[in-house]
Amino acid sequence: MAVLTVQNLSKTFNLGTARESRVLDDISFEVKGQTFVSIVGPSGCGKSTLLNIISGVEEHTSGDISLTSDAGGPARMGYVFQDPRLLPWRSVMQNMMYVQDDQSPATVSRAKEYLDMVGLAKNADFFPGQLSGGMQQRVGIARAFAVEPDLLLMDEPFSHLDAITARGLREQLQDIWAQSKKTVVFVTHDVVEAVELSDRIIVLQPGGLIYEDITIDLPRPRRQTDKNVATLQAEVLARLEKLKAMSVAEPVA
Amino acid sequence: MTTMQRSAVTKRRSTTEIEQSTPEWQKRLTSETAARVTALLAFVVIWVVMSWLFSRVPGPVEVGERLVDEFSRGEVFGNFGMTLYRFFIGVGLATVVGIAVGVVMGLSQLSRAFLESPVLVGLSIPAIIWSFLTVMWFGFGDMSPIITTFLTAVPFVVINVAQGVRGVSRDLRDMSETYNVPFGRRVRHLVLPAVTGYVAAGVRFAIIMGWNGVLLAEWFGGGGGVGYRARFWYDANRYGGFAAWVVLFVGFIVILDRFVLDRAIQRSFRWRDSR
Repeated sequence: MAVLTVQNLSKTFNLGTARESRVLDDISFEVKGQTFVSIVGPSGCGKSTLLNIISGVEEHTSGDISLTSDAGGPARMGYVFQDPRLLPWRSVMQNMMYVQDDQSPATVSRAKEYLDMVGLAKNADFFPGQLSGGMQQRVGIARAFAVEPDLLLMDEPFSHLDAITARGLREQLQDIWAQSKKTVVFVTHDVVEAVELSDRIIVLQPGGLIYEDITIDLPRPRRQTDKNVATLQAEVLARLEKLKAMSVAEPVA
Repeated sequence: MTTMQRSAVTKRRSTTEIEQSTPEWQKRLTSETAARVTALLAFVVIWVVMSWLFSRVPGPVEVGERLVDEFSRGEVFGNFGMTLYRFFIGVGLATVVGIAVGVVMGLSQLSRAFLESPVLVGLSIPAIIWSFLTVMWFGFGDMSPIITTFLTAVPFVVINVAQGVRGVSRDLRDMSETYNVPFGRRVRHLVLPAVTGYVAAGVRFAIIMGWNGVLLAEWFGGGGGVGYRARFWYDANRYGGFAAWVVLFVGFIVILDRFVLDRAIQRSFRWRDSR
């Protein structure tokens, strides 16, 4: 099973003329295989930076990151971004295949399978510009799952969508995840979303420190209307309010 | 006493309503085709007037007659074909090399630092200088017009493509990086389609600069071709013959641009029209 280990990770941005901004400060955590972990926290606490470092898009200043793969070879990652990031001049299917290691018929049929799971099998030949924002994001999700990643990173994938579309996609994501059981690190600022989707929530505080690590032990599939989900959401929200109050009283430089 | 309040109601007409109420003659008169035809007619009228005012400006009729003479002498196909051969090899090479160098320049900062100055020097050297140099280097024949066309055109393709590559979306590059998309696939599916517009602009410049190059090289050193025949008539003080060859080649460039390049560009941008 894929295991992500983050040890003493720090990230400092050099702002020039000897000014520095520390975004992540010596954080450590481990994500075991087949776990859905959410990273939550207020804006600017380093959630997206953490994800970009894990994915390799950004360099880290110090610390270690390791990812063991299921197959034993180099670890494979999938990434669902805030915006769909599809090639506008390629069809939906071509976008799915663009990120695949091999272009074999088996991979093509796997890509089709995931498109089918997000309800877009009929739109395989469409250009992204012919799809709505929600449909494009579904392609982004299908693309990420179709590479069969050891680790799937998701950076606020529903934040640009309207509430109804976002809710539908969250439910769809839960269904796909239940079937694939991929290891997921999901960044969000929405506690409601985090409780609904996650096995575990890591709360980051401004300055890039881990404030709290919460285990969510609720049966799946979870829906916002479930009483237990709503209670836990309120509880986590209250803890975050406390963090916010602390941050205002003692602003982190 | 009562006061009456008058409210103004502004009704905005729908596009269907406007379409239906506009007379057919007005639609035709305001169409793009009408604008193009008007521009062509205006050009011909100005040309005719200029030929009336100045004896050394041959009018359209005289130019047409000279062109027919050249056809009947059997000069057109051989010379025009020779120029086209040189022109297409030169522009083709400039396009292929220009895209390759432009992509490298756009992707790597080091290669940009290395190549930027030579490309700028290339841009600033006019076609006439290249034509002199290539005639000195390669003598009379096919080589000097081909190389002149290539050297005149290639910096324009390079600079346009490099500009386009630098403008490729950072988000899409990051996405490709995250998924470890192989370099060749990135160039084919991300970089090249993203720079299509820049490539088209570069090729357009290449065609315009290239035809300057080929004609000048033939003028000074070609043993045949459009430039050679234009010079023949110029030296004979027969401006009608000179203008006939220029009109022939300009007409060809316009047709090439309108019916080949323009359509190819429209085809490559069909994903944009699908929105």
